[in-house]
Amino acid sequence: MERDLVEYIAKSLVDDPSAVTVTAVEGDKSVMLELRVAEGDVGKVIGKHGRIAKALRTILSASASHSAKRVVLEILD
Amino acid sequence: MVYEFEGRTEKEAIDVAAAELGLARDEFDVEILETQSGGLFKKGKVRLRVHVHSNARPAPISEAAAAQAAGRPIPEPRYDREGRESRGSRRDPAGDRPEPRPVQPARAANPEGADEFEAKILEFVKTTVEKMGYACEVAVLFREDKKLGVRLDSEHASILIGKKGKNLDALQLLVNVYGGRLGREDLRIVIDSENYRIRREEALVKLAYESAEKVRRSRGSLLLEPMNPFERRIIHTTLNDIVDVETKSEGEGLYKQVRVLWKGAKR
Repeated sequence: MERDLVEYIAKSLVDDPSAVTVTAVEGDKSVMLELRVAEGDVGKVIGKHGRIAKALRTILSASASHSAKRVVLEILD
Repeated sequence: MVYEFEGRTEKEAIDVAAAELGLARDEFDVEILETQSGGLFKKGKVRLRVHVHSNARPAPISEAAAAQAAGRPIPEPRYDREGRESRGSRRDPAGDRPEPRPVQPARAANPEGADEFEAKILEFVKTTVEKMGYACEVAVLFREDKKLGVRLDSEHASILIGKKGKNLDALQLLVNVYGGRLGREDLRIVIDSENYRIRREEALVKLAYESAEKVRRSRGSLLLEPMNPFERRIIHTTLNDIVDVETKSEGEGLYKQVRVLWKGAKR
C-alpha cells in the first residue's frame, strides 16, 4: 500500500516521526497522498532541489500496486 | 594442452574459455581458428583454440562460471565478493591467482556499532522494497573504507532497477539520506541488483571508446545522452588518457551531457 510506504520512508527520515501523517485522497483515476511532517522536518522530506521528494515519487511510481491508479504525492507544510 | 571454444565474438569466446578453465586471461594463449563476421541481421561466430601453459592445469569445467562469463563479458575481481562462498569450495588450480579479497571477519574488522548500523540499513532497504509490493532479499555486498555495498535480490529486479537505473538510484538516494541520519554522513551506500551497476559501468566504458573512435573519424564532436555525475565521470576518466580527444560536460543540473570532441594529434 502506497500510504504505508510513504509513511515508513518519511518516518525514517525525519526528526519527529510521531508528527508524520499521510492521508490518501482517492480520485477516479488517481490517488493523492498528502504527506504532513513537523515544521522543522519539511526540508528533510524535500531535500536540496527537491531531490528527496523526487526520489520518493520515483519509488512510488515503481511500486507494484499503483498500476491501476496514478499516485500523486503532495508534501504539505 | 589445447582446448577449443566458440563464442559470438572473439572476446566472448575468450571469456568463456577463461571461465571454463578457471584461468586468468594471461595464463593461456589464444589462436583464432575461424571468424565469421556477423552481417546486419546475422550474428557472427568465432572459434578459437586455447593453449594452456604447461604449468597451469585446467580446472574441471564449471558450468556456472562459464554461464557467468557468457552473461557478462569482463570477469571483474569485484564479482568475486559475492561469488566467494561457492568458489571457496571449488579447488582453484591457478593457485597464484589473487584470492578474491580475503574473507573478512566482518565483525572484527568493523568498529563497534557497525553491525547494528548495517542491520538497520539492510532493514530499511528490505522494508521499503516490500512496502513497494515486491518480495526481496538484501545482503551486504561489500565493505570498504567509506563505502557499503548492499545487494538487492528480487524476482522483480528489472522493475526495481528501472529505466536506466532510475528506481535503483532513487532507492539508493533515500538509503543514503537514512544512513546520514544514523550518523554516518561519511559513508556512501551503494545498492546493486543483478550487477546492474557493474554492467552499466562496463557499458559506459565501451560507449566512451566507441565515441572516441567515431569522433576520430568524423573529426567533429559527439554529444552523448544525459547522464548523472557518476556516469559522466566514467566517460571523462576513460577518455582522459586518450590524447586526441577531449571531453566536456554541457548543460545544467544533475543530468548533464558529455560532449566528446576531436582534438587532433597536435604536439
